[in-house]
Amino acid sequence: MKHYLLIRIKTNKKSTLLLKLNRLNVDIKNVLYERDALKFQILEKDLKRVKKYLVSYEIEVIDETGIYKLKQELKKNNLIITAIIFATIVFLILSNLIVSINVIHEDSTLRQLITDALKERGVTRLSFKKSYDEYEEIIESIKEEYQDKIEWLEIDVEGMIINVRVEERIINDYEKDYSTCHVVASKSGIVKSITTKKGVAEVSINDYVTKGEILINGNIKLNEEVKNSVCAEGMVYAEVWYHVSASMPTKESSSKDTGKMRYNFMIKKNSEETVLLKSRIKGEKRVENVFLFSFFGFDIYLQKEYEVEVEKISYTKEEALKKAIEQIHEKLDLKLDNFEEIISEKVLQKEIKNNNIYIDMFVAVKEQIGVKEYFDETRSDTNDEEYNGDTNGID
Amino acid sequence: MRIKKNIENFLYDQDYFIDLFQNCLHIYYYEELVSLSDTKIELKLKEFNLIIEGENLTISNMDKHELLIKGKINEMRFKR
Repeated sequence: MKHYLLIRIKTNKKSTLLLKLNRLNVDIKNVLYERDALKFQILEKDLKRVKKYLVSYEIEVIDETGIYKLKQELKKNNLIITAIIFATIVFLILSNLIVSINVIHEDSTLRQLITDALKERGVTRLSFKKSYDEYEEIIESIKEEYQDKIEWLEIDVEGMIINVRVEERIINDYEKDYSTCHVVASKSGIVKSITTKKGVAEVSINDYVTKGEILINGNIKLNEEVKNSVCAEGMVYAEVWYHVSASMPTKESSSKDTGKMRYNFMIKKNSEETVLLKSRIKGEKRVENVFLFSFFGFDIYLQKEYEVEVEKISYTKEEALKKAIEQIHEKLDLKLDNFEEIISEKVLQKEIKNNNIYIDMFVAVKEQIGVKEYFDETRSDTNDEEYNGDTNGID
Repeated sequence: MRIKKNIENFLYDQDYFIDLFQNCLHIYYYEELVSLSDTKIELKLKEFNLIIEGENLTISNMDKHELLIKGKINEMRFKR
């Protein structure tokens, strides 16, 4: 490639200069006539000859031309160009980098499963993004691998974040229930409500039922003839009665820390405890032992002695009675579900003996009494898992 | 393209040629630049000398065998 330089030669006799250049057989182009100079492009090799033979002229190289000018510009601005190239590379890297992968699903196990599957396929945090086709392939392979767990999967690229939306496959694996059963009463009571899902209700509201009586029949009959047998299902709420006893002390004591604490040491051997120092707590106290070390079979403890203030509380007969009733309510509430409730109650007997109040109560409760009783052909073949033969008494 | 090539071959196969345009003159295969001023340029070609007269005559491109002259050309003469 010819290397042309743009030069300026100062002269007032431009024609003479051109003639001399012609004699020297130099190639010049784009000649510009300036007031006291000639400006033109000349080959680098010719310039050497011109400088050699035309020594009296003032020759100034102004600029490079063509590719050399570009090279010169690049060299001159190499810092800026390097910075731009570096910034572009950084930008390209960052714009193609995954900084976060969000698997959007409420189930943490499924989220972890998808995260692991993506990791196996090279989609991890701080890795490069993949093309649309590659993501499609990954989606298909994950769906194929976990076809029993994943219904639908989508990878959505939002800038540097990958959002993975997943829909769990729910396989409804119903086992057909071929067993036959009745719903029977687990307790005696008066039916208050009945909801039948399967089977035929045998009782009506306000019917008195006894324990073991069929509430919902699993045999579907037509004209006294059994046409089909199902496992009866339903909820039967009845008013049932409890005879409850409870006792409550009329006097109680409670202790409260005063904030005063003193240290002591205690040695323990074979469950025998010996306090080393004299206690500096005069009144009532409670202690906490902190194990320090063992020494020849002796366990050494740091003992913290807290001074406590004991408060004695006496209840009136009414207060003690109220507390005993509250205690009974708490016991019953533990047994009752959302739809069960205490209907009514009556104290039958109350007695104060040895600073204790003893009460007998009659409580009517609305309670679910229906339990399944399985049968084969006849009712005698029962296999009741839920019916536990509970009595109406409360411990 | 073949026509253009043929013309080029025809032209460049000559001992010399002179192209005159509106305000420039292209001379190919001159032998020597005899004299040069802004009103008169004399060139020696193979069989004759070419004298160009005009106003503000300038050399735009120049190499060993080729010359491009710009300016107002009033007269061109051949001297054998």
